[in-house]
Amino acid sequence: MLDPFRIEGQASSIPAAAGIGLRFPHHEHVLHARPSVAWFEVHAENYFGGGPVRRTLEAVRRDYPLSLHGVGLSLGSAEGLDSAHLQRLAELARAMEPGLISEHLSWSVAGGHYLADLLPLPMTEEALEIVCRHVQQTQEALQRPILLENPSSYLQFRHSSIPEWEFLDNVARRSGCGILCDINNVFVSASNQGWDPLKFLDSLPAAAIGEFHLAGHAEVRLENGRLVRIDDHGSRVAPAVWSLYQQALQRFGPKPTLIEWDTDIPAFEVLLDESAHAADYLHACPVSPHACAA
Amino acid sequence: MPALLELQRAFGAALLDSARPQILSEVAHEFGIEPSLLAIYRNTALRTLTAALGLSFPAVRQLVGEDFFESAAREFIGMHAPARAYLNDYGQEFPRFLAQFPPAASLSYLADVARLEWAVNRALHAPDASPLALSSLAALDSALMPLVSFVPHPAVSVLRLETPADAIWRAVLDQDDAAMAALDVTAGPVWLLIERNADGVQVRRLTALSGRFTERLCAGDPLQRALEDSAAEAVPVEALDAVLAEHLASGRFTRWRT
Repeated sequence: MLDPFRIEGQASSIPAAAGIGLRFPHHEHVLHARPSVAWFEVHAENYFGGGPVRRTLEAVRRDYPLSLHGVGLSLGSAEGLDSAHLQRLAELARAMEPGLISEHLSWSVAGGHYLADLLPLPMTEEALEIVCRHVQQTQEALQRPILLENPSSYLQFRHSSIPEWEFLDNVARRSGCGILCDINNVFVSASNQGWDPLKFLDSLPAAAIGEFHLAGHAEVRLENGRLVRIDDHGSRVAPAVWSLYQQALQRFGPKPTLIEWDTDIPAFEVLLDESAHAADYLHACPVSPHACAA
Repeated sequence: MPALLELQRAFGAALLDSARPQILSEVAHEFGIEPSLLAIYRNTALRTLTAALGLSFPAVRQLVGEDFFESAAREFIGMHAPARAYLNDYGQEFPRFLAQFPPAASLSYLADVARLEWAVNRALHAPDASPLALSSLAALDSALMPLVSFVPHPAVSVLRLETPADAIWRAVLDQDDAAMAALDVTAGPVWLLIERNADGVQVRRLTALSGRFTERLCAGDPLQRALEDSAAEAVPVEALDAVLAEHLASGRFTRWRT
C-alpha cells in the first residue's frame, strides 16, 4: 500500500562534512532560509508523532541529508528493550530513509521508569552481552546497521572489568554496528575518570568509525573541590576538544562530523560558525588516514 | 558483583524516589560511588522532566510562576515517573495531580487549564491518520446508519470544563493583560473541541448540545444512541445531523463500523 507520508526519492548518504544538530528553535529558520548546511541530525524521539512537526522533518529531509539520533532506546537496560519504542523508531526510519541511525552506549530505563538521562553502564561481561543483544535486536527491526555512541560519564563502577574502548570494539565486532565517536564525550570521560583520551582513540577499531560528534561541556566544582566536566551541550566546543578532534581525524580520516547544542541554544549563525570551524579541520585532512596536516 | 538489573533499579530509586531522600547516599555507598556524582545524574533527570512538563503545560507554568511550578513538578515526578522514554507522552496525570495539590487549592481554574493543555499536547504529537473517506459511508444501507459508530482522529478530543479555561489559556499565552482582566472565571462550564490541522492545534468552543453529542461519538457510541443521549428533549435531530456532517467534512473521524 502506498504510504502517503513516505518521502519520495533516494536514500541520501551523509557526507564526510560538517553537519548541524537541528532543534525546534531553528525549524522556522531552516524551512524558510534553507541555509547552506552539509547535513542535519535530529533526535528521533522528537518526531515520533505526526502533524506539522513531522511535515517539517519531511521538508528538511527533501533538501538535506538526514541522520536520526535516538536518545531513548536504552540499549543497556537489563530489563529489555521497549518494543513499542523500537517500533516507533523503525516507523520513522522507514518514512525518512535517513543516511545514518545512531544510539548510545548507555541506559535510561529501569523498573519500568524512564530516568531522563543517558546513564553509565558498568563495563562488565553481563552488560556487554545485554548491549550486543539489544544492538542486534535494533538492527533487525531497522533492517540496517546502527552507529553506537561512546558515553560521557562522571563516575566509574568499581566492578567494571573492561575498558570502554574494548567494550565498544567488542560490540562492533559481535553485532556489526559502527561507532559514533563523540569527541567531547571522550574528553569529558577521560578527564573525569583519569584516563588518556589519545589511548582511547588509538584503541578504537578505525574501520568501525562512522561519525564524530562535537559539543561544548561545562566545568563544575564539587564541594570537595574536585572538578567535574559535564557534557551539557550548552557552549562552543572547547579548545582541547578541537585538538582531540584533529587527532581523531589523523587516525580515522574525514568522517561526517556533527555540531550538537542542546541547552541555551544560540542563534543559528553560531552553529554555522562552529560547523565552519569543523569543516576547516576536515578540509585540512586528506582522505587517507594517518596523514593529516598538523 | 551486583547484577545489572539490581544496579539499575537502585539507580532508578536514587534518581526519582523523592519520598526517600536518604536513598541517594545509600545507593552511592552500596555501589562505591561518590554521592555528589550520583546527585549530578539526579539533578539532570529532575531538570529534564521538569522542563518537559513546562513545555507541555506552558500556561500553567506562567499562571503559577517558576518556583511554584518547579515544586509542583518535583512532587509530581516523585509520584508519577514517566513510563516511557518518549517525553511528549509524559504528564497525562498532571491535571488530576494539580486538582488535588493543596498549594493550588485556591486556583479553581488551574486543573482545567492543565486539562486543556494536555489535550493540546496530545493533538500536537498524535500520529498521522487518514480521514474517513465519505464515499465509504455513502455505500452504506441507510437502515444501518443509526448503528454506525466512529473512530476519532488521534489528535481530536472533546472536553467539558467547569471554568472558561480556553479564555484563560489564550490570555496567558498571548500575554494579553486586557483579556486577562476582563475574564470571569465563574463563566463556565464550556465545551471545547481540540484538534489539529495544517496550521497547528486548534481549540474551539462547542454548544452544550454539540459538545455532548461529539463527546458521545468520540467515545464510540453508535449514532442513534449518541443522538438520544445528547438531545434529551425537543431538539431537532437535523441540528445534530449538521454537526456530524461538519465532523466528517473536517476529517475528525478515521473509520466507521457497525
